[in-house]
Amino acid sequence: MNGIQKVRTVALRHLSNKLFSTRMAIMLPILILFIPGMAWGFSDPKVMLPGGITPSSATEVMFYTSLGIVFGATMCSVLLSFDGVSKDRASGVLEIKLSQPMPRSYQSTALVIGHWFAILIPTWILWAIAFIVVNYRMGDWPSIVDTLTSFISVALILLWYVLFSLIASTHAKEQGTSIAFGVGVWFLFTFLWALVTTMVAFASGVSIGEENNPQWIGLEGILDLFSPNGVFHHLLETRLTAVERGVSPVISWTAALIWSILPWYWFNSRMKSIQP
Amino acid sequence: MAEVVLEMKDAAFRHFISSRSLTKPFGKKEGSGIFSVSLKIRKGQILGLVGPNGAGKTTLMRILAGIFPIQKGQISYRDSELKEFSPISDFGLRSVVGHMPEQVRWQGKVSVKRTLEDIAEMRGVSFRVDGILTMVGLSEIKDSPLDQLSQGMRQRLTLATALLGSPKILLLDEPFNGLDPVAIRAFEKLLIELAKKGVSIIISSHRVAGMVHLVDRLALIHRGQLLIEGTLKDIEVKFGLDDRIEIQGIGELPDFNKILTSQGSILESRKSTEGWNVVIRNPDNSLLKKLVSSNVEITTWKTKDTDILEMICSATGQELDEIGFGVIDSTMMPYKNRGEEE
Repeated sequence: MNGIQKVRTVALRHLSNKLFSTRMAIMLPILILFIPGMAWGFSDPKVMLPGGITPSSATEVMFYTSLGIVFGATMCSVLLSFDGVSKDRASGVLEIKLSQPMPRSYQSTALVIGHWFAILIPTWILWAIAFIVVNYRMGDWPSIVDTLTSFISVALILLWYVLFSLIASTHAKEQGTSIAFGVGVWFLFTFLWALVTTMVAFASGVSIGEENNPQWIGLEGILDLFSPNGVFHHLLETRLTAVERGVSPVISWTAALIWSILPWYWFNSRMKSIQP
Repeated sequence: MAEVVLEMKDAAFRHFISSRSLTKPFGKKEGSGIFSVSLKIRKGQILGLVGPNGAGKTTLMRILAGIFPIQKGQISYRDSELKEFSPISDFGLRSVVGHMPEQVRWQGKVSVKRTLEDIAEMRGVSFRVDGILTMVGLSEIKDSPLDQLSQGMRQRLTLATALLGSPKILLLDEPFNGLDPVAIRAFEKLLIELAKKGVSIIISSHRVAGMVHLVDRLALIHRGQLLIEGTLKDIEVKFGLDDRIEIQGIGELPDFNKILTSQGSILESRKSTEGWNVVIRNPDNSLLKKLVSSNVEITTWKTKDTDILEMICSATGQELDEIGFGVIDSTMMPYKNRGEEE
């Protein structure tokens, strides 16, 4: 069995353990509520969003539905992977795994892929269902490029949160610290980032919260590159012509690449030096 | 003497511990570990690695299992087909060594078989799972969830993970913890069979008495240093712990100084309300006859077993009464120059 086959086999083990876990059964209704549920709501012809906006195309509806990913799926990915390493470490199983003739970089890759796909598969299925729901309600499909962009963006944001949780899991020696770190990061980027943006804007002398102020929009766009949720929305916005926040698609995809590579490298380094 | 398959020369590994200060908030310094350990592992032999808590047994086991990379020294391995020793990497060690850590708390709703398959996939030997489960006596409960396993069953499962991949060297860290006497007997039988097949086995324990009948050689480790390695007889002779008789009796304590010839020496002598207890080294063959003819009432006459504390006392020059929980205390006098500042 070569290295890639080993990684695939071990990743599949992690995947099936997590995919068919009790935790997933509890989280699935939340995901259903947040993804197809939001798509159903936002595709209502009578819907009126704050600011008097009514989504006019399937792509726009799916952009707003992405809030379900930000609030629901990312939290589920944290809850699914927070104990990816710490549970084995606390029980002593990690020592057995580290003594197997499988390079630690392969073990870490299998861990990431297994946990990532465990949340990605149900999320993608529900995301696809959301497309069908929108088509049923509006009679409109997003273009193939819009669809591909949204599926890739969803995959990437889930990867980032899985990586954050796994990194926390390698640092924590008990489950509490691990989940606190994972939820803390989720809370920071989901809720507190607006506060960070406001504080930076205030310090820079930019008028805060004025939606049509180009300075505010530009600053918010740049600061969003430092948040996984922000980059996720930048990626989706590359397919929305009406939105212009001063960040080009190249910068958005470069930021996405950096958000993928750096945490993965960090996790890999942690796994190489981890002690049971 | 059996051929050496693995040789460790001057191996050292020290853990890093947090050492924070205002100028270095994330500072670390070297902590405990093992120092300049040289050890030979022979084919088909069972080596008992003994030492008190915190002596460095588990660290040494983890080095041999390829989990901790050595910071100094060298580990060489000789395969059965090769004549020459060659240095072996951590990854190489993991390929030839099966490691059974101490007290693994298997938990969850996953079945025993599935758990073993998870580990077997990492070695690429999932086809061996059923055979291993039968070998360790878990085949009948292979579909049971881990949460339902008793401590003994968990130990067996841990042993099963160590046996995956037909290891040439088997490392067992406190393997008898939590096992009932029947399971211990079966476990020992299995280890003897494996040793006969050429598997080298290292058993780590803080008790000598529990494994003297099982091991071919003993290695005594204390404060990260290997004090001595050899057969139990060799060690006893070296430390003056061989040929000791413990005698217990009732009535007045006999005057052994008069009874003994110049050959024997009294190591211990105690009197209590129930009777008396004397330990004599190297006694005269006629001692029993002399005691009986002197009308001394003897209740017990047995060979005195050696324990770790006695070995450590002999090696460090300390008295038994001086040793308390401070047996791992860094203030203990070093018995050997480490060649570096501690």
